[in-house]
Amino acid sequence: MEVSHSVKERTIAENSLVILLQGLRGLVTTVDLRDETVARGRVDNVDAFMNIRLAEVTYTDRQGQQVQLDDLFVTGRNVRYVHIPDDVDITTTIEQQLQAIHRVRNFGSEGKGRREFPTRKYK
Amino acid sequence: MSFLKSFPPPSPEDGLRQQQPDTEAVLDGKGLGTGTLYIAESRLSWLDGSGIGFSLDYPTISLHAVSRDLNAYPQEHLYVMVNARFGEEEPKELKETPVAEGEEDEDSDEDIEPIAEFRFVPSDKSALEALFAAMCECQALHPDPEDEDSDDYDGEEYDVEAHEGQATLERLEGMLAQSVSSQYNMAGVRTEDSIRDYEDGMEIDTTPTVAGQFEDADVDH
Repeated sequence: MEVSHSVKERTIAENSLVILLQGLRGLVTTVDLRDETVARGRVDNVDAFMNIRLAEVTYTDRQGQQVQLDDLFVTGRNVRYVHIPDDVDITTTIEQQLQAIHRVRNFGSEGKGRREFPTRKYK
Repeated sequence: MSFLKSFPPPSPEDGLRQQQPDTEAVLDGKGLGTGTLYIAESRLSWLDGSGIGFSLDYPTISLHAVSRDLNAYPQEHLYVMVNARFGEEEPKELKETPVAEGEEDEDSDEDIEPIAEFRFVPSDKSALEALFAAMCECQALHPDPEDEDSDDYDGEEYDVEAHEGQATLERLEGMLAQSVSSQYNMAGVRTEDSIRDYEDGMEIDTTPTVAGQFEDADVDH
C-alpha cells in the first residue's frame, strides 16, 4: 500500500477524508469536475491536495461528447465529486490507509516496526 | 493573438524539467505554429522559432492529459485546460463576472468560468508520457492557496513531524550500533568470533548477518 513520501502530505491525509480517496488507488471510478465535465478511469494517485491522476480515461465534456485519454491529471480544486465504487467498504478503506501511514511513521520504533535483529545489544 | 509576447526561454535555474522542441501549440482549435514547449517548476511556456510565445501559471491549469484518441483529435497530443481567458490582457483566475459572448467557441452558456483549451502536439509522440509526468510534478508544487481546509495542517503544529524524525533517528542509530557488532561476520558465514558473539543463548537462525541487508524490503514506499 503506497503512502506519500512527504510528512506534510501524510499529516494532511490523516486528518481529512482525502485519505479515503487515496484508498481508491487502482480502482476504476468516476470523477465529476467543477466545470460539469466528467472523467471516468482508473485511479493512479490521489495526493493530499486532492489532485487526482487517472489512467485509461473516458472524458465527457459539457456537450456530452466523449473522448478517450490515456492519462489525466485534474487539480484538486477542480474536483466536485469522486464517486466511491459500490463495492468499496469506506470504513475499512480508511482504516487500511491509516494503518499504512502508521506503519511508515513507526518504522524502527520498539514493538511496532519489524526489527532485523530480535535482540538489541546496544541501547 | 494579443497574449503572445517575446521572452527568454526558461533555463535550468527556473526549474526547467522538460523541454520539447518541434511542438505545435493549438489554442481552442486555432494553431499558433510550431515551437518548443518548456515545462518548468514555475510555469509552463511555449516559444516559437522567433522567440515569441506565452506562459501558463500552474494555478490556472485545471487539468492536463495525454490524448491518443485520433477520433477526437487527429494527432496524439498533450491537452491542457486552463481556467483563464486568452486574447485579452491579464488572464485572471476564476472571476464571477460574465464572460463576453463570441470570444469562446460555441459555448454561449459559458457565463461562470472562462476556459481555454491548449493542445501541445509534439512531433515526437513518445515524449508525451514524460511531458505529462513533468506537468504532474510541477502541478503538485502549486497547491491551491484558496483551499481553506488545509490551512491548519502545516505540519508544524503537530508533533507528527517530530515523531517521525525521531523514529527515523532511532532506527538509524540502532542500525549503526548493530552493524558495528556484526563486523566480524562474513556474509552469511559464521566465523569463530561470530559464534562466540551469539552464544549468549539468543540464537538467531534466519536473520541476515549483515546489518541493513533487507532494510529496503520492509516498508512499501
